[in-house]
Amino acid sequence: METSKSLPPITRITKYTLIDEVQQRSFVVMFVFCAICIFLVRGCYQGNYMVNGQALDAETIVRTLSKATFHVIGAGVMVITALLSMRIFRRDRNEGMQSCILSKPIARWQYVMGKILGLWVLSTLFMFILHSIVFLITSINLKVFMPGYLFASLLCSINLLFVVNAVLLLSLLMSEIVAFLCVLGVGVVGFVSDGIVAASQSQIAQAMVQQSAGHPQTDLTWWKIVYFFWPKLLGVQQLASSLIESKSSHGFGPIYPLFNVLIYCLILGALLFKRFSNEDIV
Amino acid sequence: MIELKNVTKRYGSLTAVDDVSFSVKTGECFALLGPNGAGKTTIVKVLLDFIRPSSGVLSISGIPSTHAECRQSIGYLAENHHIPPSLSGWEYLMRSAELLEINRSEAIDQCNRIVELIGMQGRENTKVGTYSKGMVQRFGLGAALMGDPKLLILDEPTSGLDPIGIREIRRLLESFKDQGMTIFLNSHMLSEVEKICDTAAIINRGKLLVKDSISAIVKDGEALEDVFVRLVKG
Repeated sequence: METSKSLPPITRITKYTLIDEVQQRSFVVMFVFCAICIFLVRGCYQGNYMVNGQALDAETIVRTLSKATFHVIGAGVMVITALLSMRIFRRDRNEGMQSCILSKPIARWQYVMGKILGLWVLSTLFMFILHSIVFLITSINLKVFMPGYLFASLLCSINLLFVVNAVLLLSLLMSEIVAFLCVLGVGVVGFVSDGIVAASQSQIAQAMVQQSAGHPQTDLTWWKIVYFFWPKLLGVQQLASSLIESKSSHGFGPIYPLFNVLIYCLILGALLFKRFSNEDIV
Repeated sequence: MIELKNVTKRYGSLTAVDDVSFSVKTGECFALLGPNGAGKTTIVKVLLDFIRPSSGVLSISGIPSTHAECRQSIGYLAENHHIPPSLSGWEYLMRSAELLEINRSEAIDQCNRIVELIGMQGRENTKVGTYSKGMVQRFGLGAALMGDPKLLILDEPTSGLDPIGIREIRRLLESFKDQGMTIFLNSHMLSEVEKICDTAAIINRGKLLVKDSISAIVKDGEALEDVFVRLVKG
């Protein structure tokens, strides 16, 4: 496999995927809707907030809210990416592009790679633009400059690659809507379990555990293993959001989610290539 | 040019293609004939590596059909061809050229020539969504001709065309044949096949019944249609 000869077909298929998706009316509607929502949220940055009877300063409000917005955009774009990915093979098949491309001297792996890259680039741009709107609002209107915000957005794109690979693979094995729901389920379970674990590490939860120390403990080893290996989508977002606060991460713990999701991307990608190589082109 | 050796394709208990072997020589105009569901389209798809055979070997110009390089000089027109409705006919032809890595100026020249050849001047810049079935078929044929292929695989090329369109396609095929292009034709239009093709194979229920030159298949006083009906009905 010569890399220099393999690249042009992949870049062309990536380009066609981007163009075809952007021309879809549903994509334009989703993008405009999301951008309007982000603009509407800007009023919240200038409100008066009280915590324990003390008024918060403007910068703390902006930083906290922009971080919350960062997570909401990250999670929202994952759902949108799943929606964009779920019908990509079927549309190509129905509109004749799959047979047009594969009747040319283009290998199946190049076609799949082009599709993955097209969807990944598109969804990363989608998320980056939405994050950039927040970045511009906070930098220009509110004079709170967070240079790590855009880097964090790019780091979060690893999650989008996971979603693209997972939905494309599952859409070959089951109906598209079931594939979408499965990936959504994986994401929701990951977010909820990460939330529960984060809550259980709070001081209140620790105190509750100490109070019940006398009671017999249930064996949670299996659940811990499942939790450890579950795709750490929220973990990647938290790692990315740590860039916003300019906190440096130390040790294996904080970057483990990144490794976890990257390994999932590789495994899902390999399975997708394998599955598509045996797919009938009709 | 094309070689099939003991090709079989099974879908569970159904055998779509049953131990088929034949070859098509360079410059030959070959027709694959058979009733609906005989396995003609399956053979074409196996040849293009769209479907993997259950057993057997296929090669094009000596290169196994599973290698993408063997499709470098193939033009393919699918039965009931589809084109993304958001594209114009011109954009579709340009995409076909880009996928063959033809440089832009050469691609524009080829597109202009092909648009004229398929008789679609003046309609090439409108969206495919507004085209009739016959017009989509013409642009599909145009895309198949991109890059001056040495082998043209056409699956029911006259599907959706009116009698004038059918005659134009026949004239085009005759001119391609005169240029020395190898043509692999899947068709129900026996009268057209008889006029254009040198050799033909008839298959039924996945089995090859006969493969020979048209003159050897059609005896004196018979038409290809008579032979076809006789062989298929057993």
